[in-house]
Amino acid sequence: MSGIIAFLRRFYFFVLFVILEITSLAFVFTNNYYHQSGFFNSSNRISGTVYTAYSGVTSYFSLKKVNQQLAEENTHLLNLATDIKDTSNHKKIPKTNPFGQQFNFILAEVIDNSTNLPNNYLTLNAGSDIGIGEGMGVISPSGIVGVVAKVSPHYSVVMSLLHKKALVSAMFKKSGTFGTLAWGDKMDYRFATLTQIPMSEKVKIGDTISTSGFSNVFPKGVMVGTVDDFKSIPELYFYVVHVKLSTDFKNLRYVYVVSDLKKTEKTSLETDAENSLNEKVK
Amino acid sequence: MIIEAGKNILRFLFFILLQVTIIRHLDMGIYFNPFVFVGAILMLPLRMDKTLVLFIAFATGLIIDMFYNTMGMNAAACTFMAFCRPSILRFYSPAGDYNADASATVGSMGIRWMVSYAGVLVFLHHLVLFYLEMLSFHGFFTTLLKVILSGVTTLILLLVTQSILFRNAS
Repeated sequence: MSGIIAFLRRFYFFVLFVILEITSLAFVFTNNYYHQSGFFNSSNRISGTVYTAYSGVTSYFSLKKVNQQLAEENTHLLNLATDIKDTSNHKKIPKTNPFGQQFNFILAEVIDNSTNLPNNYLTLNAGSDIGIGEGMGVISPSGIVGVVAKVSPHYSVVMSLLHKKALVSAMFKKSGTFGTLAWGDKMDYRFATLTQIPMSEKVKIGDTISTSGFSNVFPKGVMVGTVDDFKSIPELYFYVVHVKLSTDFKNLRYVYVVSDLKKTEKTSLETDAENSLNEKVK
Repeated sequence: MIIEAGKNILRFLFFILLQVTIIRHLDMGIYFNPFVFVGAILMLPLRMDKTLVLFIAFATGLIIDMFYNTMGMNAAACTFMAFCRPSILRFYSPAGDYNADASATVGSMGIRWMVSYAGVLVFLHHLVLFYLEMLSFHGFFTTLLKVILSGVTTLILLLVTQSILFRNAS
């Protein structure tokens, strides 16, 4: 016993260091993105207050850009509205929600954002109080942004598309061929990589890529970007497509959080189907 | 004594706010990602109890992690830096010992001492942080380049900040 005490007295500094390091590393490796420990992320009140104050000052600098984005979006929506009004037989109304509203869009302001880290997050000034929940998609007027990772009553943290763990199901708008979109190794905020596109697809530079709607996170057809470059992987019969993102991640100010009103219905139906199939196999 | 503690706390607040509001948004690309807040830990009194420094570094790292959403990574890097600090201080100690009121500033210790002391510790901090951030040795040399370039940026920003704001600190 006295030996242990003598050891601790002699090496207490080193022992203390090891304990603190293990604690930190435990935080790092248990930091599952859906189950982050509640306090230590930027959705808490302290960092939320600092970021809101900061954003209050800096928001003036991007007003011109934001105005332009909003004006462009207004024009786009106006065109859509005229299209719908003009078509007397209503053929152009999207058929995705024949029995009522499926998606609800919640406006939020970006109070913090980064683009130059290996794992980027955004902090929004809106949280569970107005209906934002974990796992919801986030889009901007110009394209997809990310997925809500953590919410508190007044703030939420969004895992940006610019994150090593971010995966989005995306497709070619013209043909519907879909693949998996990830940020990729180059870590450039303007580009992402679309993989698992079969060689049967006739890929052309400039083709539009949009969300497929399969992942229950984004509605179908939200803009992702355009084909910038592609190469074939003959042994796998796949194309790897380099996508130029349409979202300007450096100038994000207002975003929409997408809540899928029928998500629970869809997922429970899917699990039910899986379970009943499994039983039949047995 | 109380004035000294107050000065240290104010310096921490300043460096943390500087880091999370201004430095974080400088956005100079993926290779230049400075972490100037380590200056707050480096500038603690040179004769402060090393155990206390270790705890302060751990707590500071956690606060920065909270803002960066990098749970535990800065805490690990800062704790490692604080663990190495006594050895580095001993290595660079002047003849005799540090004066009772010596602090890690250019004004107090001279530019050569400051660059070697801060340079080594900043490098160690960035080394742990950036490799943890990648969580693998995938892109070993890219990350090493990032450690060096960001480390040099941190050092320059730290010296500039000191020369503007903490010139008279002693």
